[in-house]
Amino acid sequence: MIELKNLNVKFGGVVALDDISATFSAPVSGIIGPNGAGKTTTMNVISGFLASSGKISFEGEDITALTAYQRTRWGLRRSFQHEQIADDLSVRDNLRVILDGISGGASEKRADLNRALKFIDFSQRGDTLAASLNSYERRLVDIARCLVGRPKVIMFDEPCGGLTQEETTHLGDLILQIGELTGAITLVIDHDVELIKRICTQTLVIDFGKRIAFGETAKVLEDPKVQAAYLGIEEVA
Amino acid sequence: MKITRSGYAGIAFTLVVFLLLPAVANGQWVKVFTSAACFTLVTAGIAFMYSRLGMVSLGQVALMGVGGWVMLRMNHGFDFPFEINLAIAATVTMLFGWILALPALKMRGLYLALITLMAAGGIEVVLSTYRFPNGGSGFWGVLPSVAAPFRRPVIAESDSAYLQYVIVVVAIGFALIDLHRRAAPGRAWAMIRRSEAAALASGINVVYYKAWAFGLSGLLAGLGGALLAGSLGLLDSATFRASESIMLFALAVVGGSRYWLGAVIAGLLYRVLPALFNDWGWDADLTLVIFGVALLHAIITAPEGISGQIIALLSRKKRDTT
Repeated sequence: MIELKNLNVKFGGVVALDDISATFSAPVSGIIGPNGAGKTTTMNVISGFLASSGKISFEGEDITALTAYQRTRWGLRRSFQHEQIADDLSVRDNLRVILDGISGGASEKRADLNRALKFIDFSQRGDTLAASLNSYERRLVDIARCLVGRPKVIMFDEPCGGLTQEETTHLGDLILQIGELTGAITLVIDHDVELIKRICTQTLVIDFGKRIAFGETAKVLEDPKVQAAYLGIEEVA
Repeated sequence: MKITRSGYAGIAFTLVVFLLLPAVANGQWVKVFTSAACFTLVTAGIAFMYSRLGMVSLGQVALMGVGGWVMLRMNHGFDFPFEINLAIAATVTMLFGWILALPALKMRGLYLALITLMAAGGIEVVLSTYRFPNGGSGFWGVLPSVAAPFRRPVIAESDSAYLQYVIVVVAIGFALIDLHRRAAPGRAWAMIRRSEAAALASGINVVYYKAWAFGLSGLLAGLGGALLAGSLGLLDSATFRASESIMLFALAVVGGSRYWLGAVIAGLLYRVLPALFNDWGWDADLTLVIFGVALLHAIITAPEGISGQIIALLSRKKRDTT
């Protein structure tokens, strides 16, 4: 369970996040909202890239004081809108770099790494140089990076951006299996409402930096406020 | 640990120059090649920071001067063997590099390059004001005219043996960089180069690993300076001007910063080419024109430098024959 409490972020005079609070307890939850609503800002605050007031805790453990890299070592993983894998490293080394900062025996780490490679069907291609991968393969490696090193919270920022329908379905299926594989809670930001509906049990909707709805995904998507703000359907007065 | 094709080529090249150079080069040329080897080591430090982290340091030749200063100071002040002095000179330069770099480590790109250049300018002023120790008394240890003798390694007292000694140290320097590249620091550096956000999301302490890179690069610069001191017996501050740091960085780009061969080419261009021009009776400053043209060539048509072109050519030939 990850709890966000009263998160506030200001960029000069612009309020980017206005008192956001939510408690995610489902294996996979979503964060949706129109462009510029504050979804990525929320993710940046949770991962320690942006300072904010308020509190972030996981199972009662306060992680607000940790810096960004310390949060990764603690168990927070994230991807970016544009995948961030290093071209001059092999697929295996792109995963190993996360394990480098985490305690554990060599054999345990190797098994962890092989499990993540198997998950994305890369068991035979671990030594491939990342530069030679296509965009979907890079996205898969980016996801596998989030699975190693005993993650507690995994966040994906538009993981299906630019993918075909088939790839999106496959990636959605993989995300659904992450909880069982790692025991981590997953948060997904995406514009694809169908994907969110399919894989997220809980959803937080943000607009203009404010929480406008939070709860069970199906109910949230039926909320007139959400439909007005996000889906472009006029709110019933 | 698996040795790559490039590694085997490096070992073979080291063996060839180790055996051939002292045999074929005579007199002044032995010193020219020794000097080229020293600058190759420094260039290796510049090149790995640039290619692996995307960091531009314009102060490495100045740091080399620090290494040379400490080496001469230790030689004239104490009776330690050459190797102890060498280790101290390299370590002090590494620490010195760290201190200079620490305020800059949170910066990127142009700002980082400018800070290292300012530091190089500062070192230039100190070295040209106080000059290098040559056996005098006091902290600065400068005699007005004659210089006290320099003690070379017991196993490498002649110029030829000393050249071989330097070649071995340079090879160790390259091996050290490669060991780092394959281990956790190398992986961290690759992520930092990708983006600092990617590095943070990988649990990497960015400042720590940047400092590590600066330290390794400083260590190599210190070794290069100390070995140069051993070759010449005394040093001149003009060798370590800030402008020389810029020149060596440019040559690292010309040679190609991704490969060991690039650092070797840079060392040869920097030291052997001017000596050749002198030998032919041409003005050595003409090399600056050649360096300028070579830099333009590298920037416009060969981003991986001359070494990148050579390697691409060799792999194409190999493909054609198979």
